[in-house]
Amino acid sequence: MRTLITLNINDEDYEVPVATGDFLVDVIRDTVGLTGTKKGCNIGDCGACTVLVDGKPVLSCLTLVLSVVGKKIKTIEGLAKGPKLDPVQQAFIDKGAIQCGYCTPGMILSTTALLDRIPDPTEHQIKHGLAGNLCRCTGYAKIIDAVGHAAELKRKEGADV
Amino acid sequence: MHLEPFEYLKPTSVRDFEGILAHRAGEATILAGGTDLLVLVKEKVISPRAIIDIGDIPELQGISWDEGKGLTILAGTKVAAIEHSPVVAQRAPALAFAAAQLGSSQVRHMATMAGNVCHGSPSAETPPVLLAHGAEVALAREGAERRLPISDFWLAYRKTALQPGEYLKAFTLPPLPALAAVSYKFKGLRNAMEIDMVNVAVYLELAQDKATAKAVRIAMGAVGPIPYRATEAEKALAGRVVDEAFFSAAGELAQAEAKAIDDVRATAAYRKKMISILTRRAFAEAFEAITEKNR
Repeated sequence: MRTLITLNINDEDYEVPVATGDFLVDVIRDTVGLTGTKKGCNIGDCGACTVLVDGKPVLSCLTLVLSVVGKKIKTIEGLAKGPKLDPVQQAFIDKGAIQCGYCTPGMILSTTALLDRIPDPTEHQIKHGLAGNLCRCTGYAKIIDAVGHAAELKRKEGADV
Repeated sequence: MHLEPFEYLKPTSVRDFEGILAHRAGEATILAGGTDLLVLVKEKVISPRAIIDIGDIPELQGISWDEGKGLTILAGTKVAAIEHSPVVAQRAPALAFAAAQLGSSQVRHMATMAGNVCHGSPSAETPPVLLAHGAEVALAREGAERRLPISDFWLAYRKTALQPGEYLKAFTLPPLPALAAVSYKFKGLRNAMEIDMVNVAVYLELAQDKATAKAVRIAMGAVGPIPYRATEAEKALAGRVVDEAFFSAAGELAQAEAKAIDDVRATAAYRKKMISILTRRAFAEAFEAITEKNR
């Protein structure tokens, strides 16, 4: 039996039919059609499904969709402003921190949440903040560089405003 | 994926929550963060008929400090909130540290300490610190509430003192005396998203002479079916002069009371060795913290 609920994703309201056992990752990808959020392990270990709910990073594969009605959900698609990439996205590109790209949306959202809380993180804080996002391609070094670079880009952006 | 159908209930007040629990006790499962529960549901280890989501009950969220009672943390408070709380950093820094080890950033923004405690894993991060602090839990139901020292909460492997219709409502940590500190140490296979192979939290309170131990607590995890205190070791250490010999003795005594087993994460022998080392280091660190506090 499906119920119609409203999900607020990237500042837009989506009216979607859902079942009680539906997880947020599946509704975002299959019902709403935003496939930027990836499904990796499906049990909360890899972080590929990371989205922001009310600004906090969560695992959408372990979030029942009914739990997030009325909350503000942000997926990777919600970062860029039209053609202009978000500084975190730009930083990942600048530093070559993307290979297959599968971990990238989750990494970028975790980075966004980290920099919101700690605008100028140490390497240790970066590693601690991204510990929930696994990458099988890069070996993490460039990702860590990208986070530091993103912090710089955000600082410059803030100063230019 | 297909899951056995369940009813989803989302009370927005404690009153509604307690009412639902009273009528559905036994067949309804409480969903706090979901980072343990929903994994079990996805893996079909459990198939609850009804799930009560307590994620949006404001009365169950919050961290507060009272000079008399101490630190109160309500059950629905996210682990990330405990990790980042300035109040916890000041009043129970070992708890903030232990909370920071749980899972990952994402997991900490979903999970609750109540879930960590009620899920009953012997290697959970927060129980040893709560035991070392001599914390109390408030267990509530519709129309009633009782308090229990947390050392009475875990009865057997994954079995808690919660009765049907009851839920864990709040944690209270009594104020730390000026001459006391708690320290937490752990060992895992990697730096995050792992289950500790051994962990330990110690409480050290110095007597007025600042040289002898007035009170000692040693709380060990992953070396038994439940997190528990090494009470024989505690008795042997109380009253002794706190020095290098004390720290070493503490390690050996803790090791003697550890009931370690071989499993996929470590051998019993390694666990026992690690408990000895971590306990020794934890006491040294606690003593250092007391010295710093009282400079």
